[in-house]
Amino acid sequence: MTGNQFHLGIDVGGTFTDAVLICEETGRIDTAKVPSTPADPSIGFMAALERALEGSAVDPGAIAHLVHGTTVATNSLIEGKTPRTAFVTTEGFGDMLEIARQVRPSLYDVHFEKLRPLVPRDLCYEVPERLDAAGDVLRPLDEDAVREIAAALRAREVRSVAVCLLHGYANPVHEERVAEILREEDPGLLISLSSSVCPEFREYFRASTCVINACIVPVVARYLAGIEDGLGRAGLDAELLVMQSNGGVLTAEQAASKPVFMVESGPAAGVVSANFIAGQLGHADLISFDMGGTTAKAGLVLDGRPRVTKEYEVGAQAQPGQGMTRAAGYPIRTPVIDLVEVGAGGGSLAWVDAGGGLRVGPRSAGADPGPICYGKGGTEPTITDANLVLGRLNPDYFLGGEMALDVDAAAAGIRERCAEPLGLDPVEAANGIIEIANATMINALRLVTVRRGNDPRELTMVAFGGAGPLHANRLCMEMQIPTLVVPPSPGTASALGLLVTDLRHEFSRTRVTAADEADAARIRSLFETMEEEGRRTLRREGAAPEDMEFRRGIEMRYAGQSSEVPVALPREGLDDGPDDGSDRKLDTATLADAVRRFHVEHERAYGHGYPEQPVELVNFTVTAIGRIARPRLPRIDSNGKGVSDARRGTRRVFFADAGDFVETAIYDRARLRAGHAVAGPAVIEEVDSTTLVHAGYRATVDEFGNLLIAPGDAA
Amino acid sequence: MPQRESRTVSSVDPVLFEVIRNALVEATEEMSVTLQRTAYSTNIKTRLDYSCAFVDANGRMIAQAFCQPAHLVTIGRLVPRAVAEYEAEHGQGTLGPGDGLLVNDPHRQASHLNDVFLITPFFHEGELTGYVANCCHHVDVGGGAPASIGAFREIYQEGIILPVVKLFDGGDLVDDVLKLMLANVRAKKEVAGDLRAQHAANEIGLRRLSALWERYGAEMLGSYMERMIEYSERRLRAELAELPRGEFAAEGCLDDDGITGEPVHLKVRIRFDGSTARFDFTGTDPQRAAPMNCNLTQCFTACVYVLKCLVDPDIPLNEGFYRPIEVVAPEGSAVNVRPPAGVVGGWEVAMRLCDIMFRALAGPMPERVPAGTKGMICHVGFGGEDPGTGEYYCFLETLAGGYGGRHDADGPDAVQTHIQNTQNAPIEETELNYPVRIHEYSLVPDSEGAGRRRGGLALCREYEFVGHEPTFTTLADRARFPAHGLHGGGDGKVASYRLISGGEARDLGSKATVQLATGDRVRIETAGGGGFGPAHERDPDAVLRDVREGKISRARARAAYGVAIQPGEWTVDLAETRRLRRAQGR
Repeated sequence: MTGNQFHLGIDVGGTFTDAVLICEETGRIDTAKVPSTPADPSIGFMAALERALEGSAVDPGAIAHLVHGTTVATNSLIEGKTPRTAFVTTEGFGDMLEIARQVRPSLYDVHFEKLRPLVPRDLCYEVPERLDAAGDVLRPLDEDAVREIAAALRAREVRSVAVCLLHGYANPVHEERVAEILREEDPGLLISLSSSVCPEFREYFRASTCVINACIVPVVARYLAGIEDGLGRAGLDAELLVMQSNGGVLTAEQAASKPVFMVESGPAAGVVSANFIAGQLGHADLISFDMGGTTAKAGLVLDGRPRVTKEYEVGAQAQPGQGMTRAAGYPIRTPVIDLVEVGAGGGSLAWVDAGGGLRVGPRSAGADPGPICYGKGGTEPTITDANLVLGRLNPDYFLGGEMALDVDAAAAGIRERCAEPLGLDPVEAANGIIEIANATMINALRLVTVRRGNDPRELTMVAFGGAGPLHANRLCMEMQIPTLVVPPSPGTASALGLLVTDLRHEFSRTRVTAADEADAARIRSLFETMEEEGRRTLRREGAAPEDMEFRRGIEMRYAGQSSEVPVALPREGLDDGPDDGSDRKLDTATLADAVRRFHVEHERAYGHGYPEQPVELVNFTVTAIGRIARPRLPRIDSNGKGVSDARRGTRRVFFADAGDFVETAIYDRARLRAGHAVAGPAVIEEVDSTTLVHAGYRATVDEFGNLLIAPGDAA
Repeated sequence: MPQRESRTVSSVDPVLFEVIRNALVEATEEMSVTLQRTAYSTNIKTRLDYSCAFVDANGRMIAQAFCQPAHLVTIGRLVPRAVAEYEAEHGQGTLGPGDGLLVNDPHRQASHLNDVFLITPFFHEGELTGYVANCCHHVDVGGGAPASIGAFREIYQEGIILPVVKLFDGGDLVDDVLKLMLANVRAKKEVAGDLRAQHAANEIGLRRLSALWERYGAEMLGSYMERMIEYSERRLRAELAELPRGEFAAEGCLDDDGITGEPVHLKVRIRFDGSTARFDFTGTDPQRAAPMNCNLTQCFTACVYVLKCLVDPDIPLNEGFYRPIEVVAPEGSAVNVRPPAGVVGGWEVAMRLCDIMFRALAGPMPERVPAGTKGMICHVGFGGEDPGTGEYYCFLETLAGGYGGRHDADGPDAVQTHIQNTQNAPIEETELNYPVRIHEYSLVPDSEGAGRRRGGLALCREYEFVGHEPTFTTLADRARFPAHGLHGGGDGKVASYRLISGGEARDLGSKATVQLATGDRVRIETAGGGGFGPAHERDPDAVLRDVREGKISRARARAAYGVAIQPGEWTVDLAETRRLRRAQGR
């Protein structure tokens, strides 16, 4: 196979580490799955790499492009395994992290705990200085005080420090001077400045973002350096790229200095993958639905771009029914692909509560002991057990037959724990478990669609993860989503996302400005400053000028509101001159048009727009993109054989809409070819997943091997 | 493809039950998100001082999304009353689609005047099917001081009273009502913007409910809502059967009523009999011609809150949860006020009731009850002419304090307690929008009630006003009576409210409205939480950690905890500590 170049993606998840290897010439895809090694994730990384290379007999030198998705940043925070970090802020505000938002995360729990600050109070230092909201100096920086802090940091053996001064977003002058002095006093100190990491207003959120960055800088830098060493030893000389929370990638060098941008690196890959898969089919608006062992995640892509949020909390899970109560995690204000995660995965537990209600999740049996049917000691019924009892899973073909599932044990568990307390038979109870899990997932889907003003009838769903394709058809039915796409190998589809994205850097500045007083020239120069920064970064990462793209945006609100709505500035509206990104004419007409679109976006999101109300421009954003060529995916041919070639037989499967077991055709996905069509009810089995097609629906196989499921009859 | 459910409703399908219940709550949560995102005043958009609910056609609370536990009873009690009053005046069935009722009158069982409710009827196929409603704490509703908090004798001095009036009629805004309201308030832009947000939220609620009724039909939903109410009641009664039976009493005092220096004496007897909970406030002081009175709704809210904390938090809150609860509050007392007394401090009273009720239960349920907390809402309001814009501005916020120690954990520092969970306003955003500078926002060391499990620390906020002379108000408490310790734990430090003018500090007391000069500062230190268990039983290492973090001074560690820390280093002097503790134990 010499001569060919390869793209390799390695995704380290909680349970498994997946590798995806694509041949640039032939488009052939190989995958490998190895257990993750949480104590040192780089071991699993190297194991997956070796397995993938060996399995396909590819020479390490042939890897031209290498991308990594990792949860190492988040895990070190959640597990409290970050090295000693300090915090420096303006005098009078050293308790910013302790006080946080002054709220409790649960309303009726007298045993609640407030979130433990990532920096203890004795490592929070105050420095005399003060800016006002315009960024003007009210009180000059006390440089001697900074030197004293430097001495204290040395004495306490602090390696990393976060600096967040009041109104530092408006003017970085004091933060930068603090950094200079600290560096003079201790050149080895790792310094994170809020004005560089996240120059937006609202001090606690900016400080939290900056502190998280400072906490994980040492961990991530060491981890990535270790990986690069390992790659060197293995003979791989491709540049190591890392997936960020926003769905783009950056070089390991960049990731090591601003690791807060990669806290949700892993889950982002799934949405990027869904976007790519749907994009090949010409679908630009979609829901990504990823259901694994412990949770289900729903994400939204509009116009070919994953939706990102800046209101993310590290370590907090979405809890439907908990309303607006937040403060369950550490907030960050860097862009994160917007995912709603609910506790409904294959391992989620089902039980009957004290009032006689049947409940599912969010507690999970995890991989160990796992569902009852695994026979590994699990005693509480799970979603997987219910699927098995209903005939939706094949007990003899789980993980391609590697693990036999115990149907009788699953049925007995459901009878004892759920059916008898409710006076139901086990099948009714199993169906109930599925219906309730589906209802929870529908809430998640509603959160990313209707709640944000997006009509699910105009979207395509891409379903993956081991359990996703089993539930997706029913969810689409309920949500009236017209088309469902199930990619090949749904269990590793997420890792594909690593290989189908671009270099991406986000910049933003807060300058609160009344829209009707906005000075186009000043705004233009603000954008150009950020674009220049982006261009420098991309150039360092090796992007050619013709592959660079800069997207401008303004986050706006009605003057007086606090939640901003992002509005993209269209390139057409800006470009009069050559498209080199430096010579754009941003004028009052461009701004007026953006304000008009803000009214429309506001109405879309919240049901009402108020065109007569004054508008404020709040944050100005630039996304700098360095395009990376996409690998070609393999196509599958029609082999001239009919669909009956893939048919394995029939099995009795329970369908809620029929209210009973139905004799259902079973197909082997590996033998389905392009052009084949399967009418529901049907079950399509493959090594790492099972797809359920309901009556009234029809699955067709496209040239990439995707299953396209839509209402319809047999061919 | 959309399939209508065709199942009959003869028996409850436990699955459908769960699905419908979640969908109804979800509709109110969507209202909640809309309200927050589109609101204008800091108090609503950032501090989340609002709630949303769905009430059925019989006026029964079915589902709610609340940010503030304080609102958990109010909407359910107010809606049936407001609708009945409106229909009594205008005729049965006069409410139609697109109407919206506005009300804030505490003497009609709303809460205080700042909490403005918007009630919108929900029609399905021409039938009145229920109501969506929300409640927002507006930054100003007129009255004697900016932000409409302040100490006055009568409700007429507290702001504009909205009986039950139509703000929307058949989908159209009733301009005259809006005009009348805005003419009476200071922060006109914010109030108008927040009313728009309230309307937008109800509209979203109606859309979601319509889709649900379309899908399941009125008969099935009616039947399931009935079951949801029964379910909550059944679960609460099952919990009540497990609670210790008997009668448990406690009492306590508010600093003063805001007009006279007389403390307001509050008293409760709680009786659990295995299937009901009775809260009897007989013996509480008569109402005052002052702001420190609450109405029956607010009193009931405090009782529901306390009970909810004692039982499985998972029980859905709806009409069924209220049924086993009986509240006896003498009419004309400080916990069931009659017109024309002031009520703007009503939440302050209700908040303190929570502390007192927990205190009553501390003996029989030591593991479930925290020591005394900051025990007040701690309102801070100011306003005046913004020197930058020339417009009248108003600002309101509430400050956190210490939580009480628990049997197995310290009380958290600087946190909102009980019926209140409002976020702080970011300093940068506040300074950007208002002519104020904040000089300090910090924990108050040594303010905790000492204990085996210590109370939480209070916090401090210091304001300076730039280039103008605003009116500044505190409506708070705890300057005289501290948060109580439990089971041998110490009391928390009391709060202080000081004006610093021309280099001199003057104590304002917990309820004051003052005219400031430019450059004046106000420094507020809230109250610490009470301790749990004897302080000399506290783990010396925990004391050491607090000293090291600067939360407790070395001197206090020694005096209050009997823990000696080696001079110049971070270790406990064990011999000296043993000696000190032996002396304290005696």
